[in-house]
Amino acid sequence: MNNRLVVGIADMKMRQYEGELITYALGSCIGLCFYDPMIKLAALLHVMLPLNMETGRKNPLKYADTGIRETLRQMEGKGARRGRIVVKIAGGAKMFDVPGGGSLGNIGQRNIESVHLNLKKEGIRLLKEDVGGTAARTLWFDAATGIGYIRSYGKPEGIL
Amino acid sequence: MQVKNYQELNMMELDTLREIGSIGTGNAATALSSILGCTVRIETPEVRIMGYNEAMDWIGGPEVVTAGVLARVEGEISGIMLSVQQLEFVNLALSRVMGHQVSRYDELNELDISALLEVGNIMISAFINALAGLTNMAIRLSVPAFAIDMQGAIIAVPMAEFGGQSDHIMAIGADLICDGQTVPCRILLSPDIRSLNFLLKRLGVLDEQ
Repeated sequence: MNNRLVVGIADMKMRQYEGELITYALGSCIGLCFYDPMIKLAALLHVMLPLNMETGRKNPLKYADTGIRETLRQMEGKGARRGRIVVKIAGGAKMFDVPGGGSLGNIGQRNIESVHLNLKKEGIRLLKEDVGGTAARTLWFDAATGIGYIRSYGKPEGIL
Repeated sequence: MQVKNYQELNMMELDTLREIGSIGTGNAATALSSILGCTVRIETPEVRIMGYNEAMDWIGGPEVVTAGVLARVEGEISGIMLSVQQLEFVNLALSRVMGHQVSRYDELNELDISALLEVGNIMISAFINALAGLTNMAIRLSVPAFAIDMQGAIIAVPMAEFGGQSDHIMAIGADLICDGQTVPCRILLSPDIRSLNFLLKRLGVLDEQ
């Protein structure tokens, strides 16, 4: 567990050349691994909701749309190029199946759609994804290789 | 009316919420004691207004696997009720109701899960009944849902639901003491912000600026 940088909810952290980034227990939230392989710059973003409609916009990293833009801006500030950045995503599960629960059940699904849409809008290539389902995911990401790993309750460890 | 966000509440408003928590969990404890056939008391209830990542630490780490029973609160106020059942509590309930215990969550069979869902549902209903009686409001509960997973993701459900309104989550709840043994069992009421204001107003403590 050493040398891992923890990314909280509505949070984003970056590492370059080496080290790991980890975010715990993604339920309906989505974890996005951004990677520029040329300069080995990795960013892990943990967003909670699909669209930023908040007045004042104090916390851009909470939302898929503003979170993606803010992450790209900060990566470009460190020398990443948009054409090289690739993304892998995980999360968007449905934790509880509430009968007639309205929006409760599909926040995960809306998050997935919003992430897809906003990546397309920004012209970023989505390499791989492990989304949906009903199980929470812990996601970690190696800055040296760009490989992501997923751990879920009751399932073998997966590679992203 | 200016709607107050969680972190803007004053001492009196918080005390009122604590009192609601006390009455609600007290009622839930009484219900639980009649199912389990043992005395159940509650520890001093608390009202916590937490940032997301603070809530993860408070519940005991995001990756710990736990069982959760969730019901949506509807009617004059809306929100989410969540009963988080850690393994200690699961075993207490199972040993009393089903006559056996488990060492891991994946040993639970279908009948065990159904029993735990019902225990959670009864506690949640008792809590909400107390609240409805106290405030004279019509409050309904949805059919409860059950999940076993990392508790970080379970507690993130009310966060995501109200995430568009606030960067904080409010939890009213308490631990239980069953036959002298402290069992962590958290019953959480997370009202949405409008409902919170309505509730405080109804109880006559909302300090409107």
